[in-house]
Amino acid sequence: MDLIASPQLLFSALVLGAGYALVGLGLNLVYGTMRLLNVGHGDLVMLGAYVAFWCFALTGLPPPLAAPLAAALGVLLAEALHRGLLHRLLGAGAERIEANSLLVFFGLSIIVQNLAALAFTASPRALRTLDDVVHVAGVAMTESRIVILLVALAVCGGVLIGLRATVWGLAIKAVIDNGRAAAVVGVDVPRVRRLALWAGFAIAGLAGALLAMVEQIGPFMGFPYTIAAFVVIILGGLGRLGGGVVAGLLLGFVQVYGVALTAPTFSSMLLYGTFVAVLLLRPQGLARAARIRS
Amino acid sequence: MTPRAGIAAGAALALAGAVPWLVGPYGLTIALNAAMWVALTVSWSILGGTAAYISLGHVAFYGLGAYVVVTSWQVLPLVVAVPLGGLVAGAFALTIGWPVLRVRGPYFVILTLGIAELVKYAVLNVEAALGASSRLLFGVPDNRTLYLATLGLAVLAIIVAALVRRSRLGAGLVAVREDEVTAETIGVPIGRYKVFAFALSAVIPGMVGGLMALRSAYFEPLQVFNPVISFTIVTMAVVGGAADARGPILGALLLVVVSELLWANAPQGYMIALGVLLIGFVVFAPGGITGALARPRP
Repeated sequence: MDLIASPQLLFSALVLGAGYALVGLGLNLVYGTMRLLNVGHGDLVMLGAYVAFWCFALTGLPPPLAAPLAAALGVLLAEALHRGLLHRLLGAGAERIEANSLLVFFGLSIIVQNLAALAFTASPRALRTLDDVVHVAGVAMTESRIVILLVALAVCGGVLIGLRATVWGLAIKAVIDNGRAAAVVGVDVPRVRRLALWAGFAIAGLAGALLAMVEQIGPFMGFPYTIAAFVVIILGGLGRLGGGVVAGLLLGFVQVYGVALTAPTFSSMLLYGTFVAVLLLRPQGLARAARIRS
Repeated sequence: MTPRAGIAAGAALALAGAVPWLVGPYGLTIALNAAMWVALTVSWSILGGTAAYISLGHVAFYGLGAYVVVTSWQVLPLVVAVPLGGLVAGAFALTIGWPVLRVRGPYFVILTLGIAELVKYAVLNVEAALGASSRLLFGVPDNRTLYLATLGLAVLAIIVAALVRRSRLGAGLVAVREDEVTAETIGVPIGRYKVFAFALSAVIPGMVGGLMALRSAYFEPLQVFNPVISFTIVTMAVVGGAADARGPILGALLLVVVSELLWANAPQGYMIALGVLLIGFVVFAPGGITGALARPRP
């Protein structure tokens, strides 16, 4: 029982949960405004991680400083995807967009993973940086984990405040709630969607650059993050970005405490098990939450 | 089936059955691949093609069948073990079917993907607890035998899928695809139909998985439960056109050729080609090859 009550475990759960919340926040923005089921979301995390890896390996730039570059790469990819493919998908009704986007993004995910495997080989890599241990109130923390926790909470908090306090943020919230009504009251829906897509991809890239400090970096590392992001948005509720942050933290706690009570090999089972349980309990996925809100 | 189509099908079957005596060992491996993918994709289409419930988790059934055959190796004779693998896969589908098939549309797709991963890690944990990280099988049947057995399963899958499409069950599943709520309203027992079709579409993949475990003579959970297998099945069905009975066969055969051209030299190139084909067909030809070729009926 000592283990369960230890602040060390609490810290681990907070770091993991904050990472999930950040990754899920990006998917929530993209799904909420455009109804795009981006099953390649985790691959953006993977690309961000490689940005951090190569920046550090080639120039010694620490990952927190490479994170803006990873976010910029996310924006570039979002724009390229928007111009090349998405405008074809977005013409249809919401149900068709969801069904088509899932298969399209699944195809994209496979392409990106294998291109990464071709470019960087399939063998996993690791970054050794910012791994000095700091003791705070008797809890040993590595610098990298403190950075992840602080940046993730800052970005989540910043986005949540930005959504309430800025015109663009309010416009994004309006499009998430009801795109048609938002257009009627004069919101430039296509521009808002594009902005949300940029933001969502940028946040995923940024999250990847941060997580590169604590995770093994490989072409196929992204999928668990995709699953985590879906847990976050289904549990947290469509477009409820605050609920998503809570759900991300909850998932982090489930996984860390679940592993502490069982064995490290159960980590993946806890993640996928939570995902399956969440979908079985909410069989309409996000639609039900949307209906209640509208 | 028209008499001409019947003769063509009979000739194709006779030719496929004679393959082991016509080609060399390399040709036989291609034929074995083709039979395996046709069996898997056609089985998948029993639910995926009729009701458009797209399962991205069929590898779970394939893997469970393989696991049954491997764990019962030298305990049960293969003529029992392989069908048992199919039954276990079908029973698993039946068990999870009720809750899982309440989830609709794209959520069903990602849910099946998640379930397949969950099953993979569960088997990995069981194997780790048993202290068996990988298993070798000695004295497996030769490729000629495996090919004929797999071909038999492919033919069985085609017959079952065709019977389902012609039956009341098939009509009900198509109604689910067109409008599930309306289908339920007019009295189609959609729950029962979907679960039954799901279980039916799992049995043959379970048996195919068992045969493929014998083919590699090696069992490793990460390989047998590789989500790439599910992804390949869906891509084959989408490329061929899942709504048409011939689509999954056509898509599977076509992609086996692409795979032979690319897999040995550029495995990543093959995966990229699959991704490009999937996106291209979803965006530009959602009906697949058969859908694009079909003339609109008057």
